[in-house]
Amino acid sequence: MNEEIAEKIKKMLVERLRIPEDELNYDSELFGDDIGLDSIDSIEIIVGLEDLFGVDMSGSGKENFQSIRTLTQYVEEHKED
Amino acid sequence: MPDNSKRCVVTGLGLVCALGDDAASCAASAFSGKSGIKDVASFDTANCYSHKGAEVDLSDSELCKDKYDRTTLLCIKAAGEAIADSGLDLEKEDRTRAGVILGTCIGGAASIDKYYQDSYEGKPADKEDILRMPASAIANNVASHFGLDGITANIVNACAAGTMSLAGACDMIRAGKADLFVAGGCDSFSSLAYAGFHALHALSEKECSPFNHSDGITIGEGSGVLIIESYEHAVARGAKIYCDILGAGVSSDAYHITAPRPDGEGQMSAIRRAVRNSGVSFEDIDYINAHGTGTSKNDEAEFLSLRTLFGCREDLSVSSTKSMTGHCLGAAGSIEAVLTIEAMNRGEVPPTAGYEGEDLDVLKEKAGGIDFIANEKKAKDAKVCMSNSFAFGGNNASIVFAKEPHDIRDERNTDPIYITGIGEVTGTKADGASDYRADLSPDRFKEHGVKSAFLRKLDRFSDLALLSGIVALEDAGITVDDTNADDIGIVIGTSDGPITEIVNFQKLVIEKGIENGSAFMFPNTVYNAAGGYLSIFTGIKGYNITIANGFQAGLQSVMYACEAIRRGDENVMLANGTDELTDIEAELYKNAGYIDGGVVLGEGSVTVILESSKAAEARGSRKYAEVAGYAIARHSASYAVTEGTGEALVRAINEAISDAGITASDIKTVYGFANGSKPLDDILNGAVSEIWKDGIEIRNVRAGTGEARAASATLSLACAAHDMEKSSGNYSLAVSFGAGGIYSAVVLKKA
Repeated sequence: MNEEIAEKIKKMLVERLRIPEDELNYDSELFGDDIGLDSIDSIEIIVGLEDLFGVDMSGSGKENFQSIRTLTQYVEEHKED
Repeated sequence: MPDNSKRCVVTGLGLVCALGDDAASCAASAFSGKSGIKDVASFDTANCYSHKGAEVDLSDSELCKDKYDRTTLLCIKAAGEAIADSGLDLEKEDRTRAGVILGTCIGGAASIDKYYQDSYEGKPADKEDILRMPASAIANNVASHFGLDGITANIVNACAAGTMSLAGACDMIRAGKADLFVAGGCDSFSSLAYAGFHALHALSEKECSPFNHSDGITIGEGSGVLIIESYEHAVARGAKIYCDILGAGVSSDAYHITAPRPDGEGQMSAIRRAVRNSGVSFEDIDYINAHGTGTSKNDEAEFLSLRTLFGCREDLSVSSTKSMTGHCLGAAGSIEAVLTIEAMNRGEVPPTAGYEGEDLDVLKEKAGGIDFIANEKKAKDAKVCMSNSFAFGGNNASIVFAKEPHDIRDERNTDPIYITGIGEVTGTKADGASDYRADLSPDRFKEHGVKSAFLRKLDRFSDLALLSGIVALEDAGITVDDTNADDIGIVIGTSDGPITEIVNFQKLVIEKGIENGSAFMFPNTVYNAAGGYLSIFTGIKGYNITIANGFQAGLQSVMYACEAIRRGDENVMLANGTDELTDIEAELYKNAGYIDGGVVLGEGSVTVILESSKAAEARGSRKYAEVAGYAIARHSASYAVTEGTGEALVRAINEAISDAGITASDIKTVYGFANGSKPLDDILNGAVSEIWKDGIEIRNVRAGTGEARAASATLSLACAAHDMEKSSGNYSLAVSFGAGGIYSAVVLKKA
């Protein structure tokens, strides 16, 4: 996993979605009970990743939104350098 | 024969929206299925996926020559028409008995946009824009414009606000607090709402298509205004009567901050309450003007609610006029009320516009037998009609109009109401700080079981209200569960609402464009989000309104909450005052020139639990004090002026004392509102020395917490209640003021 991308995603989640930084690690289940994201947050994540990496995640599968790790993998695979 | 003393009748109509500049032209379009939706003209939507809007084609100066925020101007236009239509001669009226209750969602968003756009472009700030920002200013502006001195209120429950304001006007008339109201709703077209719904992907790409393609809303603007009077008042002046307003129902989903409950439970609760309060049966309803926004979530839940409650009644007609007016947010309920009354008047019901070909077959299947009117109006002698409004925050409202008088459910009682719980969140002044700020660290919430997964969504305003609400419930020993959730309600009072979140959202839109609003922040920009979160966290499903009306909203909330108990709607009410303080608000107050006079700002939230005597006895509740009487009085002044309005304070105090059935000499202590501003302190001292010539003890609660506005107003009552529990005196009085010369007074009695 690209740590640089993961760190940027984490920072984005903390800033845009006000997730307490100390409660968020790369494998935290984003849409589960711990972090508790919902559909509105997923819109915000899509916009955030588009801003950061130019990667469009709209319409992509739920499994990609599970954690920072899966988001990072998606970005790595779809990022155009 | 129906009891005329309980009747509230509509005697005047006014309307401005994308369909036209007056009620007649709007109705002509709506009943011919003509839509007012066009490409947006107010701002550039080139980078947005949608370009549709339903704007009013009158400029600000064409609406009214006076300078106000556009939301106020739209309302003045509609109110002027309604007053003229009603034939009211204001010169002959007792103006202290004529009030203004308005619903709004976005309030002064156009002025917020302008102020921060100027700042972004490096232009000097216009102080007047600051005074036009809060929703609190609107009813006051309208009342002052027409010279009305009765109760004012801005009901700020987003898209249900327009319907709730009509219900609120009837409640106050039936409680004997006024003879007539200019009531309705208003909202201007704004980049705030457009960017917000755009970010949520809730805008339809084409014209909205309610109960049809249901692929999103089209935002509109406008104002609908009704003149609502007591029957006796209308008859005494020989007014023509359009219809009766029978009853209304207000409920809370306790589910999600933007989405309605998919099972429609909250919507059905509001509809059931409206039907019950109106003294009619489901079979009596001839036509429903549905909320019908055109989002899939709303339309599906509403289809389900209507089919569940009304079965497959083929003689029930339903339509959504939003297909033509657009969704006018806080004005929606009032605009739809005017069109619903027009339907009864004309003997025909308006359609939902925009169905094509196969759409009609699909509709037939989804409607399940109910007569959903598509494309063309239908001749029908609708005698009893309903209008529904559902909002962000999970707030639902339903109201019933009738062509002929009916006996309504009237269980209003004057049994004692007790304060049985108190929750206080106030600020402290750090070393070297210039104001008082509250500690809202996550640990304070964790102590009460609020997890960070929930808490992170809330803005500061919602944080404050949530914390004081939870603490108050705990103090009262009330646990909300399935057995009592429907019997508990919430009234939030605020002066400035969630202004920090609103400003931050607006700045983002100014800097990054309308297409880049934040889906995360937008739900918090509505004033009723705090009441919504409180209901979601606690599970409270009853009455739920938010009043924005200057500092005194924190006492006005107590009166509205007491009235909900007196009507028999709820057993327990949370009455609250909340205002936040961040650097954004501190700067706005400074630039408005407000804190130059020695005022030190604060923030906070105070909730008092009000409980019916029956519920309090049954639970064996601790009683701090009894709420014995209350009153509001106004002396019309511009929003920035306090001087010269003191006679209204004297009136509010005397009326509250009289409401409590006592005399001034029975009062031991006055809990005042002095805050270091000399004109204000003089008004308090002047009124007190006029009523209590030999002097009386005055306590000012702002000394250690700062001017926390609506929170300070509720705090004065909470302090009085604390003291009453221990004191030897039998009665005390809490008073508060609001910008524009409105005063409220509440009398407490030893329990």
